[in-house]
Amino acid sequence: MTAGALPRSTARRVGAREQTRRRPVVRPLVIFTIAVILTFFAVIYSRISLDRTAFELQRLDREIAAEQEIHWDLRVDYARLQAPALITQRAAALGLVYPEDRYTIEISGMADTVGGPEDRWMDLRALFVEQP
Amino acid sequence: MARTKFRFVDLRLIAVGLVFVLAWAGIGYRLFRVQGADAAELAQLGFDQRVRHETIQAKRGTIYDREGIELAVTVYGKALVADPSLVEAPEEAAAILAPIVDVDYVELIQRLEGDGRFTYVARRLESGTVERAREAIESADLIGFSFVEEPLRIYPSGALAAPVIGITRLDDGTGIEGIEAVMETELAGHPGKRVVERDQSGRAIPQADFLLEPSVAGSDVVLTLDREIQYISETSLQAGIDRSGALGGSVIVLNIANGEILAMVSLPGFDGSDRSTLDPSTLRNRAITDVYEPGSTLKVVTVAAALEEGVVRPDTPFETPNEIEIGDETYSDHGSNPPVMTVSDIVAQSSNVGTIKIQRQLGNEAHYRYLDAFGLGRPASIDFAGESTGRLDHVSEWNNVAAGPSAAIGYGVGATPLQMASVFATLANDGEWVEPHVIAEIVGSDGGRTITEPRRHRVVSAETARTMRTMLRRVVEDGTGFRAAIDEFPVGGKTGTTDKFDVATGKYSDTDTIAWFIGIAPIDDPEIVVVVVLDSPSGMIAGGYDMSFGGTSAAPIFAEIAESTLHQLGVSPTHNGDA
Repeated sequence: MTAGALPRSTARRVGAREQTRRRPVVRPLVIFTIAVILTFFAVIYSRISLDRTAFELQRLDREIAAEQEIHWDLRVDYARLQAPALITQRAAALGLVYPEDRYTIEISGMADTVGGPEDRWMDLRALFVEQP
Repeated sequence: MARTKFRFVDLRLIAVGLVFVLAWAGIGYRLFRVQGADAAELAQLGFDQRVRHETIQAKRGTIYDREGIELAVTVYGKALVADPSLVEAPEEAAAILAPIVDVDYVELIQRLEGDGRFTYVARRLESGTVERAREAIESADLIGFSFVEEPLRIYPSGALAAPVIGITRLDDGTGIEGIEAVMETELAGHPGKRVVERDQSGRAIPQADFLLEPSVAGSDVVLTLDREIQYISETSLQAGIDRSGALGGSVIVLNIANGEILAMVSLPGFDGSDRSTLDPSTLRNRAITDVYEPGSTLKVVTVAAALEEGVVRPDTPFETPNEIEIGDETYSDHGSNPPVMTVSDIVAQSSNVGTIKIQRQLGNEAHYRYLDAFGLGRPASIDFAGESTGRLDHVSEWNNVAAGPSAAIGYGVGATPLQMASVFATLANDGEWVEPHVIAEIVGSDGGRTITEPRRHRVVSAETARTMRTMLRRVVEDGTGFRAAIDEFPVGGKTGTTDKFDVATGKYSDTDTIAWFIGIAPIDDPEIVVVVVLDSPSGMIAGGYDMSFGGTSAAPIFAEIAESTLHQLGVSPTHNGDA
């Protein structure tokens, strides 16, 4: 049996129904587009954030380097101030002199003299041992 | 069919079209050149402008004294550098920067107009100058300038121990003298590499650097020198030089038990931090480079060898005329000798005749063997660059009949102050030779420590060494070295005076001498050996004594240094040993 053609009014109704069914397809497209745009801006934002962080890190590196520089400058100053020649010079300016009469006080256990390489770090080692 | 009528409007359209076609053709051609034909060359040009391969400098290790105080330390200063290819107005830039960084205006223009990609504008800038220059560059919007760090070697104690520590080259920081040169490999570390992208102004672009190889900091070197003892020794020697008008001098203070050099002085010296007044002749460390005939100080080897070989005893008598002839040589003593002297007397009075008689009983072979065993004729330590071996001819070359007798009293043999310090330290250390050294340990950047273990070997028995010390004590108590005596400690030692040999004329000087005193303190329980050498002392001291002798010029310096050093080391003045 061969199917006959639908009446025109029926065909128009079917087409309208199909159009009605296709309309929601736009929404994912819109969402996708918005997502793409948001992703685009998010990437830009993250890149900017990354750059800001990089600049911040660079600034911190500079500050660390500056602090290290100060640290070494202070160590050099400290060593300079400890120089016997400077101490002697300043002591002389203050009128200090070596005493003519000297008295030796001997404290038991303090007479050990020149130590080897191991002895010179004994204080530091003792400090480490004391630490938990 | 009717012909289309030509209109003026069409002509204009054609002209405009042609212009567009030509314009697009031009753009297309340029595009072809940039993106096609010249693409590789232009890409490389851009890459070269932006990307630089940079060396990350390794921080040079620090040199410490035995107490951990910095003797040589590297800090980073700033240098202002420029890329001349980026500098747009050299004259304007030079006018702004030259007065701030204190460089010559014309010279700076020449450097900024150069062809290269790098030039220094100014180096070793202080922080205040750096800030002023930075502000000037930013406010004038100068392009192509940047600041780079560069290492500065600082010697906080100035001239103290400078000939031992040495110096580095100004341009690349390489050690060229002293410990700086000997330990160059350890101190220098290994530089790293990185690739950096820089913007148009020469600033590094963050996140655009790539580390190829990290730098490894140099190791720290801990010396055996004690800064206080070094200072005491330098000031005492300088005072002695001033008193005697000597040309220079050396002092070594040696810890006899472990061979550590507590002080090593060479005067005149220099200040490594101040190159403006640097005299190249002061760079050498006289204590290890200068070879002198040790004179009477070498008699201890002759006598110790004779005692050890059982040829003589301390109380063995010798006839001692004032002169003795051997071959063509005539040897004499200063002053008049008693007709008979014991070995102990011979040492105390430093008799040339008596010592030569002892040597003739000992024989050349045995004498040479002990000179060699005491370390003469070879470098005493491995810690110094350019240390002299001294001079000790092999006994097979002692062809002249006077060679042995001359060597017995310290002539014909050359020794450095360090070698002679080692000889006396052997006697002070009960006959065991310990390698003198100045490097206590090397501390790597990873914290690993390499501690120096000095070589040791026995030369004479402990009994012979003790006998020698008893004789050396007499030298100070009632012999030629009485000016070396210290109230609080018993000391012993040996004076020595040799005529200075003039290399230019090949003859001994009639006036100039080398004056020695080498002492052990305390002599009854030895801690240190102190060597004092003065080059050409002269003049007189109170009482009319000639300063050209070791007993008058060098012995008092020993006394000052030994007393202060023993105080510094905490040795009790009431110390009584059983030697």
